[in-house]
Amino acid sequence: MAIRDTLKANLDVALASSNVSVSSELPYNSGGEPLYFKNMKYLYLDEDNIEKTELFNNLDNNDVIQTETGVTGYLSVDAKNPPGDIDTIVSDIITSRLAVTGQPTRDCEMTTEIDADRLLYTFNFNFITFN
Amino acid sequence: MAIINVSAGSEAVLFLGDSEANANIAGSDGLSVPRMSDITLNNSTGVFRFKTLDNTAESAVTTPATNQITLNVVVDDAAFFGTGAAVDTVVGTGLFGCSKNKTRVYFNAGFEGTDSGSKFLSGSGFISGLAPTVNMDSPVWVTPVTIEVDGDFANSSIA
Repeated sequence: MAIRDTLKANLDVALASSNVSVSSELPYNSGGEPLYFKNMKYLYLDEDNIEKTELFNNLDNNDVIQTETGVTGYLSVDAKNPPGDIDTIVSDIITSRLAVTGQPTRDCEMTTEIDADRLLYTFNFNFITFN
Repeated sequence: MAIINVSAGSEAVLFLGDSEANANIAGSDGLSVPRMSDITLNNSTGVFRFKTLDNTAESAVTTPATNQITLNVVVDDAAFFGTGAAVDTVVGTGLFGCSKNKTRVYFNAGFEGTDSGSKFLSGSGFISGLAPTVNMDSPVWVTPVTIEVDGDFANSSIA
């Protein structure tokens, strides 16, 4: 199961009674504008970005591989009138990283950016495992 | 004359056993140490230097060598703790058991793999220097291993 799917499944439940919904679509551009700008109050999760590196390069080629998976989430809201429960929503989104099991490192970095009248939240999830 | 390139993953090998026969590099009764990150074979002779009145420079003679094999491995549970019941004590008790029980281990350290004609060094000694370590930034157990060689290395080729 892709990490994006796990995050979405968790957020579907966590945000069910909030002012924000989770879109099943990817954050592609439509009419020259990303969907998350067009559709405010919808959280969009991008596909998994996977990077594999050799943590221990062994002489028998039985290497220990570090797998780093990144998922980016986008949420835009009206900068003038953000939802009243935005703090809880942001907290729930950040906490959703803990729904992903089997990953010793589960980070989430949140940044904000204002574009015209929209406030964009970007969530950079980062997961690291070894095998 | 040729360099020995180990990048194929089957050249640099270390076989351990509780007898010369079990440590045979071409056999299957011993322990083929898995997941070695590096291996070093030390054949370090001592030196005795002396000065004489009829010479302007020191003279030197070598003294018996200290022989040692050092390696770093990613800990494999079967190789480290043993498999329990096994034909060979090293396989049964693992690296940790051999260290704890001070078991004499015989070794074949292959330079060129296990094919006929490949060069290897053999001998026997005792495992020491185990120090498994792990942390959350590198959450895989790794440990150094030292084999303190008792006596000399023998240089052979696989028949």
